[in-house]
Amino acid sequence: MRRANVVSGALLGLFGLAMLFFVIPWQIEAGPADMMSPRLVPTIMMVVVTALAVLLVVTNLRPRSEEAGDEAPPISPAELAALVKVGAIFALCLVLYAWVSPLAAGLALVAGTLLALGERRPLVIVLMPSALLLALWLLFYKVLGTAIV
Amino acid sequence: MHYLLVGFEDVLLDPATLFWVAFGVTLGYILGALPGLGKATGVAVSIPLTFYLGPAAALGMLIGIAKGSAAGSAVSAILLNTPGEPSSAPTALDGYPLARQGKAQKALKMGLFASVIGDFASTVILIGLAAPLAQYALLIGPVELCAILLFSLTFIGGLSGRSLIKGLIAGALGVFFATIGLETETFIPRMTFGLLELDDGIALVPMAIGMLAVAEMIVQAGNLRTLDGEMEKLTDGGAREDHFVTAAEWRRCLPVIARGTFIGSIVGILPGLGASVGSFLSYGATQKASKTPEKFGTGMIEGVAAAESADNAVVPSSLIPLFALGIPGSVIAAILIAAFILHGLTPGPLMFQQQPRLVADVYAAMLCASAILLVIGYSGQRLFARIIKVPLRLIIPGVLLLCCVGAYMETNSVFSIYVMLFFTLVGFFSRKLDFSFVTFLIGFVIGPNLELTFRQSIQLLDHDAANLIHHPIALLFIGLTVATVAWLALGSYRAARKPRRPRPRGKETIEV
Amino acid sequence: MERMTRRGALAALAGLGLGTMVLAGSAAASDAYPTGPITMLVGYAAGGQTDLVARAAAKVMGEQLGVPINVVNKPGAGGAVAARELQQAKPDGYTLLFHSNTVVNSAPFIMERVDFTPDDFEYAGMITAYQVGLVTQKDAPFDTLPEFIAWAKQNPGFSYGALSPEARLYIEQIARQEGLKANIVPLKGGGDMINAILGRQVVLAFSGGIHNKYPDQMKMISALTTFRHPSDPDVKTIEEDGFALGMDSRATLFLPKGTPRPILDRLAAALQAAATDPGFEKVAAAASIPIMYLGVDAAYKEMADTYAKNRGIMQSAGLIK
Repeated sequence: MRRANVVSGALLGLFGLAMLFFVIPWQIEAGPADMMSPRLVPTIMMVVVTALAVLLVVTNLRPRSEEAGDEAPPISPAELAALVKVGAIFALCLVLYAWVSPLAAGLALVAGTLLALGERRPLVIVLMPSALLLALWLLFYKVLGTAIV
Repeated sequence: MHYLLVGFEDVLLDPATLFWVAFGVTLGYILGALPGLGKATGVAVSIPLTFYLGPAAALGMLIGIAKGSAAGSAVSAILLNTPGEPSSAPTALDGYPLARQGKAQKALKMGLFASVIGDFASTVILIGLAAPLAQYALLIGPVELCAILLFSLTFIGGLSGRSLIKGLIAGALGVFFATIGLETETFIPRMTFGLLELDDGIALVPMAIGMLAVAEMIVQAGNLRTLDGEMEKLTDGGAREDHFVTAAEWRRCLPVIARGTFIGSIVGILPGLGASVGSFLSYGATQKASKTPEKFGTGMIEGVAAAESADNAVVPSSLIPLFALGIPGSVIAAILIAAFILHGLTPGPLMFQQQPRLVADVYAAMLCASAILLVIGYSGQRLFARIIKVPLRLIIPGVLLLCCVGAYMETNSVFSIYVMLFFTLVGFFSRKLDFSFVTFLIGFVIGPNLELTFRQSIQLLDHDAANLIHHPIALLFIGLTVATVAWLALGSYRAARKPRRPRPRGKETIEV
Repeated sequence: MERMTRRGALAALAGLGLGTMVLAGSAAASDAYPTGPITMLVGYAAGGQTDLVARAAAKVMGEQLGVPINVVNKPGAGGAVAARELQQAKPDGYTLLFHSNTVVNSAPFIMERVDFTPDDFEYAGMITAYQVGLVTQKDAPFDTLPEFIAWAKQNPGFSYGALSPEARLYIEQIARQEGLKANIVPLKGGGDMINAILGRQVVLAFSGGIHNKYPDQMKMISALTTFRHPSDPDVKTIEEDGFALGMDSRATLFLPKGTPRPILDRLAAALQAAATDPGFEKVAAAASIPIMYLGVDAAYKEMADTYAKNRGIMQSAGLIK
């Protein structure tokens, strides 16, 4: 975690600086003279973040005595893999949503995630998405009478 | 009082009304338990359904949905670490560890009992004190509210988890993200990158769904084997006392529940704060008052009691400004106004004179809803606890789908799903890098209110700080804030000075 | 075998659902418009004034046209998100927007990336008006705008509650002309405004119409429209008091550019039926919203006129970006 803290601190510091010197002036106008500037609160927050990020880096640079090598990275490879897999599935579903139909996107989301998580029984892969979408359809369109899409 | 009895007669003797109230509570409970779908969505889409019902039944049902969902959201928070609503996020902090220790039923029961007690007590307060309380609430103007919000920010100190620095960073980031949108005074867009959809800011629900639910699901997906393995090892048979709440725990939790109900009721009356603020504050307050604050987050049942009693207490008390003055103080109240008007009840002071019987019916229905909530929640316990046995690879896809639906329904557009996905990334990395999403949420919710009330205060005080003399309540809270900050600073200074003792497990180290 | 039954049941259910939908679709197929459900967008979140009126109107219009009208809320940017969505819909009469016409005749001057003009849409009538006014506590020591100005001169540094730059415009113009000193307190929404007035935080505020729900605690001192409010016929308009700042806003049926005139006429006729429907009248009365129906041609004229007028007002107030 210590190393990760240094990295996160550094990244956050960069983020804060980027916001302060680039994004905030670009995206927020200065505002009329006699009122509190719209830039004030975002600027204060980014100053706080940058300052604390520096502090985070500094307090984590030196290893502490009682840490006996708990240097396992905080994010395990499996978790990263899960992130990437789910991200890819969502990307696919959004494309399906735009090009085919919301129904296809919903089906793909459930079926895709099932496959990605290791489910191999074809019955489940077909039934579960259909059952879930049918249940949602029943609940919203029939019982509550509201269209979702 | 007499009217209330008449109201009870009307409601209890009319099976249709009671049925619809029960239907509402059940529907709300289920919607709350499903991550992604929440009470605002539920109430809004149910309004058309009530066209064909009588007024007491309709209003009873809608309010029942709100109550049920505030309680049901604890279920998914405890069992899956994915709060059904942002207001149950603190419940998950201790509820989920409890479930992982095999004490799911205990946690679920406490969550339910705390919810019902908080809800019932708050309803009683609404019925008895709506009018006088609302008048007092008017005394809380922007200046006072600003001071109160400033004070609530100090709770961030306690809720930062293990690292104060990271907690503060998260809080500041929360406030920062909340500034996205049109600034209230000048309508100048802030960081909207030309997207009209961001003019109203980032909506809480898609953001919370992404950060709390989807991110959690991905983390669990990355740990499938470990998690499923742990669950298999815990036989449901376990110690008998893991299934219910022991007397000792009751004794510890009753004051917590009382505190939570109190905090929740106050937060509900104050305009614009919302249930999330209530449950966070209650959790934070209980943690501070506890003799073992560092154990919060590892399975303290008081945490569950604190969060759930507060988040349920907010619902009826947020109706106080609505009933007494016609002012909607929360999203639910605003949606309910439409329903009230449609069914012939104009919320406000005149309501009591023009339609006393209908008002009494609604009150009676609300009290019955609390009782029904207890019944419904209790009978579902065993069923819910079984969910934890289902392999995660079957649960995760379902939850993801529900989250997408819930996010989409917020604005009826895919944009909310993009928001959800963005914050999923944020949530994933905060979890893994140990940045508290709790403080992020607090910053996000309190930040904009704080800025707005600050701007208002500047104007109201005529740009002159000396005018604060006229606002004693505000001065009180400012004093409390300064005192708390000083105490916190002193505390962490002392802790840093103490010679470091070697700690048994890495988790207990207090970083700075 | 149990699996077969489950699968079979599911398939049967799906088939039933599909079949019903097909039947319903073919039954509605006839010659003229409309032949299927219509989508009515509302640019505010569910539960507000406009949403309420929209749903009530949709109910009556649906009965008139013989097809269901689905109300879909697309909140955002004061209606600009919904309006932009409407612009991209097909001009076949099956998508319309029920919203305040301020999204075209006022918002473009106040908000940066909103740049609609009256020519961007077609209009199928207007049905209700917003009773916008300046309000204060019931027991305030002034009853009219001139009285308020006199009082303000004696009490500089008073607080005024504004919901938007448009609201600020009024007090700024009045203050400029009369030499007053005002502290403008930003408010977020009608609820905030009520709190501010009832809690005596401000002495005057801009109200979008909800002040009518509090006849015992609030009073209006000036109508900010060009016509006197039906709910408050004794209160003079701001124009009558000598300030040419009246800006009218009405709930309007917008349609995508290019929608044929016959469709507009049919919708306007249905809208007119809503205007006289007792159910609709009840809802409008409960929300204190006056029904003032305008037909298609009158609607076009109103849009063009108010656009030009508002532009003039905003320009002289220095608001135009």
